[in-house]
Amino acid sequence: MSAGRILVVDDDPQIRRAMRVTLTARGYEVADARTGEEALDELRSGIYDLVLLDMNMPGLGGLETCRLIRSGSETAIIMLTVSNSEKDKVDALDAGADDYITKPFSTPELLARIRATLRRVPQPPDHADLRQLGQRGVEIDLASRRATVNGRTSRLTAKEFDLLSYLLARPNKTISHRELLQAVWGPDYGDELEYVRVFINRLRKKIEPDPSNPQFLVTDAWAGYRFQLSP
Amino acid sequence: MMASSAGSGTYSVSGIFVQSLRLAGRIVAALGVIGVVTFFSFHLLPVNEITAGFLYLVAILLIATAGGLVESSIASIVAMLCFNYFFLPPVGTLTISDPRNWVALFAFLATSLTASQLSARAKRRTREAIDRQNEIEKLYSLSRALLLADATHPRGKQIVEQIAQAFEFPAVALYDRAADEIYRAGFDGLPDMDAALREAAVRSQFSRDEKSRLIITPIRLGRQPIASLALRGTSLSDPALQSLVNLVAIWLERALSEEAVNRATVVRRSEELKSTLLDAIAHEFKTPLTSIKAVTTDLLSDPAIPLETRQRELISIADEGADRLSTLVTQAIQLARIEGGKFQLNRGIHFPSSLISAALRQMKSLTDGREIKVCIAEGLPLVSVDAELVQMVIAQLIDNALKYSPPSAPISIGARLTEGNVVIYVMDRGAGIPQEEQSRIFDKFYRGTKEQNLKSTGMGLAIAREIVRAHGDEIQVSSKPDEGSEFSFSLPLSPRSGDE
Repeated sequence: MSAGRILVVDDDPQIRRAMRVTLTARGYEVADARTGEEALDELRSGIYDLVLLDMNMPGLGGLETCRLIRSGSETAIIMLTVSNSEKDKVDALDAGADDYITKPFSTPELLARIRATLRRVPQPPDHADLRQLGQRGVEIDLASRRATVNGRTSRLTAKEFDLLSYLLARPNKTISHRELLQAVWGPDYGDELEYVRVFINRLRKKIEPDPSNPQFLVTDAWAGYRFQLSP
Repeated sequence: MMASSAGSGTYSVSGIFVQSLRLAGRIVAALGVIGVVTFFSFHLLPVNEITAGFLYLVAILLIATAGGLVESSIASIVAMLCFNYFFLPPVGTLTISDPRNWVALFAFLATSLTASQLSARAKRRTREAIDRQNEIEKLYSLSRALLLADATHPRGKQIVEQIAQAFEFPAVALYDRAADEIYRAGFDGLPDMDAALREAAVRSQFSRDEKSRLIITPIRLGRQPIASLALRGTSLSDPALQSLVNLVAIWLERALSEEAVNRATVVRRSEELKSTLLDAIAHEFKTPLTSIKAVTTDLLSDPAIPLETRQRELISIADEGADRLSTLVTQAIQLARIEGGKFQLNRGIHFPSSLISAALRQMKSLTDGREIKVCIAEGLPLVSVDAELVQMVIAQLIDNALKYSPPSAPISIGARLTEGNVVIYVMDRGAGIPQEEQSRIFDKFYRGTKEQNLKSTGMGLAIAREIVRAHGDEIQVSSKPDEGSEFSFSLPLSPRSGDE
């Protein structure tokens, strides 16, 4: 049985070759694309669980490809970047990626990231009183992972949804960055503050009536985040 | 002394000759007028001496108005003589019998000379006013021409040509100190003036040679002489000369600042180009490394493929080689960026402890299996630093400690408060650094002499030092032989660190 379907997008044939061999050996089904344009075509015709997307490609480029994929799909995306700079990481996450890995990377590290990205946290947010949200003009449909704010509907990616569910299950309680990282991304994570920051911002854009002035997803400086339900 | 108001700027020998000829003509004309008056009063319409006196006065006033002081003064004296000869008794002689007539005669002379003076002065004033107006018009046209001047052309050449053209000077030369160059315009171009021009610009000295009508003036901006200007054949008034000098000073300053702006633009563009180039190089090197690394690490880590000892050893060598190459590329690019100067610190407010734990996380794969002691003092204030770069420094110091101490020796990392500063330190129990090497370890590509040093790229500490310097401190080293070394540096406190 396949562990998942992965689309490798990189302009370098050697990297595509190495990825294909490595990932196939670990039980993944692998297809590849040389450019962002090819990747978008491929995603239209096939269903993939995850895209490994090179940031630095001729033509469309990795970030733009990532945005275009995100505009029509919630497939998990891991960006491959060359630079280890904070800016590139945040750019990748902002463009809609779920994770990134810096080239050159080791195969165990890549496999761990793929597992973390595909990892699902069964986290039914039973405790959350979603009616309160409804009264304030926000509809969250947990079954279809959709959020509607002021008549504008957006779909949540798996990681966004996991993060939201985790917070919703613990309303009005400050959750530390580390706890969120380990719960949603996995036990190997814990210090990647930028992940939580970018994902919270992405969620705010989808569920807050005014994302720059959040009512629900509240930041507790230096401590973490909290889902504010009761006034 | 004011420059003469001859005005028209005539200066050659033939000009002076023409001028004297004109003056002679005007004197003859003035004498003619006196003759006509004498003839008219004496022969045609015999009048008494009072009427004759008034007629002469009127004639002299007319001459003074139309001509200059010279002809009207000559006419005054001739008229006085004629008045005496033809009208004051005894008529026909230059003697005077009645003493009262002496008074009349001298009153006449005084009146006519004063009238000449007054009239000539009025004329001179008018002339001067017209000259000033001309100068102002020339200055205006010069300033307009300079404003519209094309800044991309050599500035000195343009300005001398504009001055020579606007003021019709036969020769102009400008010495520009900033460019250390002399620009010339006009007929002879003042070829022998170089030394005098340079001296005027350096000493801020003004000189004027009346005979050759040559002026050399320094051009100052504030008090600083920035250039000097030599003008030949000038008849400019002092205020006009001063305005001209100011105009040149302003224009030179403008040209200088435009040049500075252009230079800054060029520098910025080359920085951008360099940055793009470095990114491209990083990408080109890391792409093949990525496939190598993917292959070696896959082989080394896959439990499904057990490797023989020889295979494992050989693949490990390739894997470590790939790591080393990757570090080299990364550090060479970092060093190139930092050495380009002006790298921007992306400052933020951080806990010293989070900087240390982030650095440790970065180094996790290398610190595994080593004893690491972390000791962070309680209640340290917040620091205002570029977290990414400071983490790089800490990681570099950890890397250094790992390389230069035996695998069994512990490494201590910590942060403490020393004299109000947050000091971060990394300490090892290695062999220590000999005194004579301590000053050299931060030099680029310096790697000591021992075999273990060869693992180093020789760039890490140089990068670390530049980053710490950008934060306003220096990395301190204290080391004792066979006891180990401590590297430490302080971090600037956040202005908000007093708050909670």
